[in-house]
Amino acid sequence: MKRYLRTLPVIALVLGLSIGCEKPAGPTSSAGGSSSGSATTGGSSSAAPNSSLKGNVVIEGSSTVEPISLKAKEEFKNKFSAVNVSVSGQGTGNGFKALAKGECDVSDASRPIKGKELKLCQEAGIKFYEIPVAYDGLTIVVNKKNDFVESLTVDQLKKIFREDMAAKTWKEIDDSWPDKQITIFAPGIASGTHDYFIEVIGKKDNKGMRSDNQTTKSEDDKTLVTGVKQDETAIGFFGYSYFEANKDELKAVPIVNPKSGEAVTPSIETIESGEYAPFSRPLLIYANAENYERAEVQEFVDFYVANAAMLAKEARYVALPQSIYDAARKNIDEGKTGTHFLDAEGEKRAGGVTSIFVPENLGE
Amino acid sequence: MNRFYSTPRSEVKRKSKDRFFSVVCILIAGLVVLTLLTLLGSIGATGSSWLNWDFLFAEHREDNPEQSGIGQAIFGSVVLCGLCAALALPIGVGTAILLEEFQPRNRVLRWLHWLVQLNINNLAGVPSIVYGILGVTAFVYMFNWFPSITPNDPPSWEIGATHIYQVKTLGGQYVKFVCPDKNESALRVTEPIEAFDDAGNTFMINVVQSRGDAPGDPVLKNRTVLNGKLTSRYSEKTWYHLHLPFGKTVLSSGLTLALVILPIIIIASQEAIRSVPDSLREAALGMGATRWEAVRNVVLPAATPGFMTGAILAMSRAVGEAAPVLAVMGGVMGTTNGLTNLMDKSPVLPVLIYKWAGDENAGFENLSAAAIIVLLLMLLVMNSFAVWLRNRYEKKLA
Repeated sequence: MKRYLRTLPVIALVLGLSIGCEKPAGPTSSAGGSSSGSATTGGSSSAAPNSSLKGNVVIEGSSTVEPISLKAKEEFKNKFSAVNVSVSGQGTGNGFKALAKGECDVSDASRPIKGKELKLCQEAGIKFYEIPVAYDGLTIVVNKKNDFVESLTVDQLKKIFREDMAAKTWKEIDDSWPDKQITIFAPGIASGTHDYFIEVIGKKDNKGMRSDNQTTKSEDDKTLVTGVKQDETAIGFFGYSYFEANKDELKAVPIVNPKSGEAVTPSIETIESGEYAPFSRPLLIYANAENYERAEVQEFVDFYVANAAMLAKEARYVALPQSIYDAARKNIDEGKTGTHFLDAEGEKRAGGVTSIFVPENLGE
Repeated sequence: MNRFYSTPRSEVKRKSKDRFFSVVCILIAGLVVLTLLTLLGSIGATGSSWLNWDFLFAEHREDNPEQSGIGQAIFGSVVLCGLCAALALPIGVGTAILLEEFQPRNRVLRWLHWLVQLNINNLAGVPSIVYGILGVTAFVYMFNWFPSITPNDPPSWEIGATHIYQVKTLGGQYVKFVCPDKNESALRVTEPIEAFDDAGNTFMINVVQSRGDAPGDPVLKNRTVLNGKLTSRYSEKTWYHLHLPFGKTVLSSGLTLALVILPIIIIASQEAIRSVPDSLREAALGMGATRWEAVRNVVLPAATPGFMTGAILAMSRAVGEAAPVLAVMGGVMGTTNGLTNLMDKSPVLPVLIYKWAGDENAGFENLSAAAIIVLLLMLLVMNSFAVWLRNRYEKKLA
C-alpha cells in the first residue's frame, strides 16, 4: 500500500504538469490554423486573430448539422482565438432537450422545432433565435447500371417505400420497366432523414416505411451507399452531401416536382432555387436569446450568420438564399425570438423554407 | 484385469484420436490468429501511411483529413486514464483487502459479505453503456441535487474560477474588469470604471456618448466604451477548477470509467491476495503481528505485482471504452482551447475513432485506421508493462 501512496502524488504531479504544459501549445496550433484557414476563407479573416475575447460557447444537437458548426468553430478561431467552442452531435432531439434546459448556447437541428419541444422551452422560460443555415436535399439514388429509371414521381415513391403499397418488382411501378425485384436501402427510424422522407410520402395517411425482406434499414449511410452500389436493381436515399461524396458511383434519380410537373435532378443549383421539391429540407441552428447577450456567444452567432453560406458550402451542403440569412439577422437585431415553422396550434407549416421563413409566420 | 492393458490396435486408435484432437486445436488457434492478423494487416495497410508526427499532434479538422490528427484525443485519453487510475485503484484494492483479509464471523455480516461479493462478480459483466447511463445520473446531474450546469449561470458550488466581465471597446478589443457580484449576469457601463487588458495594464474606461466621440489614438480607443454598452460575464479558470454537479465533463467520464473498471480491479486484486500462501500470513500472525500488520507488511508486498497487473489490464480496458464516454460527454471531436481543467470537454481516442469511421468524407476512414494503430500500440505498451512488472517483482520475492 505504501508504494501506492507514494505513487499517488506522482500521478497528481504528472497530471498537473501535463495540464499546465497544454496551455502554451494553444497559440502555436492556432497560428498554424489561421494561416491555412485564411487561405480558404479569403478576406474575412485576413487580420490577426483577436485574443481579447474570452469565454465558452457550447453547441449541441444534430449530427447532420455538426459539420457546419465544426467549420464555424474552426473559422471562428481565426477571428477570436481565445474563445473555447465545443460541438457535440447527439441528435436533434437531444439538442432541443439541452436548449430547453439552458445547457447549451446553440442547438443544431436537422428539422424545425416540434410543438412539444417548443412547449418545453416556453415552460422553462427559454427564448431562442431561429436561424436557417443551409439546405439539405434528400437524394434518391439507384445503381449506375440502372438504365430504365429516368425519373420518379412522389406517387411512384410511395408505391416503392410505403408499408401499405410495398411494390415487389419494378414492373409494378411502371409497365415498361423490367420484372425485377426492387431492393431497398433506407435510413433507419432513428435518423432525421427517415423522419423527413416519411413526412413527405406517408404522414398524411399515417403510413410508415415498409420493412420486409426486400428492405435493408441502417443508421449508417455507408451501408446504404455500398448496398445500392452493389445491387443493380436497388434504390435508396440519403442526404445530398453523402451523394455528392459518392456521385461517381451512384445515379441520382430526378424527382418530378409536384407543382411544376417537371423532373428535377438534385444539384446545388436546383436545391438552392427550390426547383428540387419536395425533398429539400432546411438545416437550422437555434441560439438561446438570453445567452446571446454574452459577448462570446454574440460574436460567434453573428459570425455564423454572416458566413453561413460559406460554411454550408464548405460542409458540402447547399447555401440558402441570402434573403433568408438577412431575415434571420434582422430577427436577432430586433430581438425577435420564436419559430416560424409552427402555426398557432403548434402544427408544422407546409412549404419550402423561403415561403415559411417570413416575419408574419414568427410566433413565440 | 485384461481391460487395463491396451491392445496394440486400440493404442493406434487412441494415438490417432489424440493426434486428431491436437490438429483440431491447432486449427482453431490458427483461425483465431489468422483473423487477428488479417484485421491487423488491413488496419495497418489503410492506416500506416497516414501515421506521422503531424497526425499525432494535430486536432480534428472538419472535412480535411490531411490536416486532422489525434493530439487532443491522445491527451484526453491519457488524462482520463490517469483519473481512472487515481479513483479506481485505491478503492478497488481496498475493497479486495476487506473482502479477502477481513472476512466477518458474524452471521449477518457474512451474509452481507456474500452479497457484496456476488454483486461485484455480476457487475464485472455488465455492459459499459449501462455504466454510462448511471454516470449521467450520478455525475453529470448528481441526482438533480444541484441546479444543472448551464453556460450562462455560475454553478452553485465551484472552486478555481474567477468571474470577470468583458466589454467591447470602440477599438474592437475586449477589456475586462473583475465581477463584483457573481450572480449579476450582465451590467451596463455608464460611468468610468477600473479595467484591465490581457497585457495586464490597469486603466480607467472612458465612457462616450456616441461613436463620433471616439478618440483617434488606437490605444485610447481600445479603452473607450459607448455609454450603456452591455458587458457580459465569463470565468477565468485555473487547472484545478471544479464545480458541482460535474456536468458533461472529463471528470464525469473519468468517474464513470472508474466504475466500469472497479469490479475488474477488485476481482484481479482478490486473485492476487488469494495467491499469497497462507503460511506467510500464519507466520506473521504467529510472530504476534495484528491482522492489519500482517496484511500491511506481508500480504500486500507479496500481492503487489498481482495488483499492478490487474490494474494495468483494467486501465487498458478503460482506454478503449467509447460507449460510456459517448453517453456522458457526447461525441466531442475537439475543442478550441483543448483540455485545460477537469471541467472541460475533450475528445478521447475511441470516440474519435468511432466518429471518424462514420464520417462522410472517406478520407477519415484511413485516419480512423491510423488512430486504431496508435490505440493498439498504447494498449500493447501498457500490457507489456504489466507483464514486465509481474516478472520483475515475482523474481524478487522468490
